[in-house]
Amino acid sequence: MSNSEIIISEEERDILQEVMNIAFGKASADLADIIDVYVVLSIPHIKLMKTGEVAGYIEAEIDNLENISVIKQSYSGKFHGTALLLFPDGAGKKLFSLFDNGGEGPGESEEISFGLEKETLLEVGNILIGASVSKVADLLDDVVSYRPPRIIIESRPGDIVDWDLAEPDAPAILMHTVFGFENRDISGLLFLLPSYKSLAWLKKALHAFLEQYV
Amino acid sequence: MIEKILIVDDSPVSRKIMKTCIPEDRGYELLEAGDGRSGIDKYQLSNPDLTFMDLTMPVMDGMQALQEIMKIDPQAVVIVCTADVQMKTIFKVMNLGALMVVRKPINKQAIDDALRKAEEKLRNIK
Repeated sequence: MSNSEIIISEEERDILQEVMNIAFGKASADLADIIDVYVVLSIPHIKLMKTGEVAGYIEAEIDNLENISVIKQSYSGKFHGTALLLFPDGAGKKLFSLFDNGGEGPGESEEISFGLEKETLLEVGNILIGASVSKVADLLDDVVSYRPPRIIIESRPGDIVDWDLAEPDAPAILMHTVFGFENRDISGLLFLLPSYKSLAWLKKALHAFLEQYV
Repeated sequence: MIEKILIVDDSPVSRKIMKTCIPEDRGYELLEAGDGRSGIDKYQLSNPDLTFMDLTMPVMDGMQALQEIMKIDPQAVVIVCTADVQMKTIFKVMNLGALMVVRKPINKQAIDDALRKAEEKLRNIK
């Protein structure tokens, strides 16, 4: 029996993929509204694995990057888990220039303070994570609350992907997508990892989502 | 008059939802494609009266497929159905010739309105 049969059926995976598609679409629209730059969205991916394999999987996904900045935020409700937003080193400065377009602050090439870079990343994380997670919860008839985000600048993912390792054999559903910005050399990866404790609820909620149409 | 509807979407769930939102009693013939490239192939083969087109798809995205279909048939009636609700996306697809954009998640009312608008457009074409 494969992992996918154990954790989630093919139909449940398809429903989840569509829910993620809607949620990531909402998040990109929210961000595009603020920075007035077209946010290029890729097809969301769903990977089934063991919790203990998640860090290694994420590390492999960003193997080409030397340093990364990470915004990590936990959410809780019936749908609960952790979201991670990863950007390559220096993205905070570039993102700041998008927020500051037309303003009087420093341009992309100019120096911005560490504090300002951190604030920019936190704001982008707040929009993308908040909009994605809240939309998933909304579509699945749930409401979530958030813990304050943590931000780590210039780190390796192994240092921050440390959740639920007390249960390394527990099943995990890792959802992720890539956000890019049109005509800008910036892209980020957003990962959502629901806690394995919410998987039973998630499966039921996915069926309920589809049943409202049939 | 709509007889044939083509649904182009990579998500089988999304196609299923779309089929349940299209009124069964109107007897439409429903055709499906799972990406933009197959959507164009099915369009050429079946010449549907109306096409519902998703945007974020593998192989060929909906934006490109819409562009190709409008080149093949400038009178094509294509309704974009997407979760990408950025204003720039809506402007882009409308400029490419889409009749309208329906936001996901869809519902029966939104699809009914879309069908009415498509009927109106088809009447004007004839």
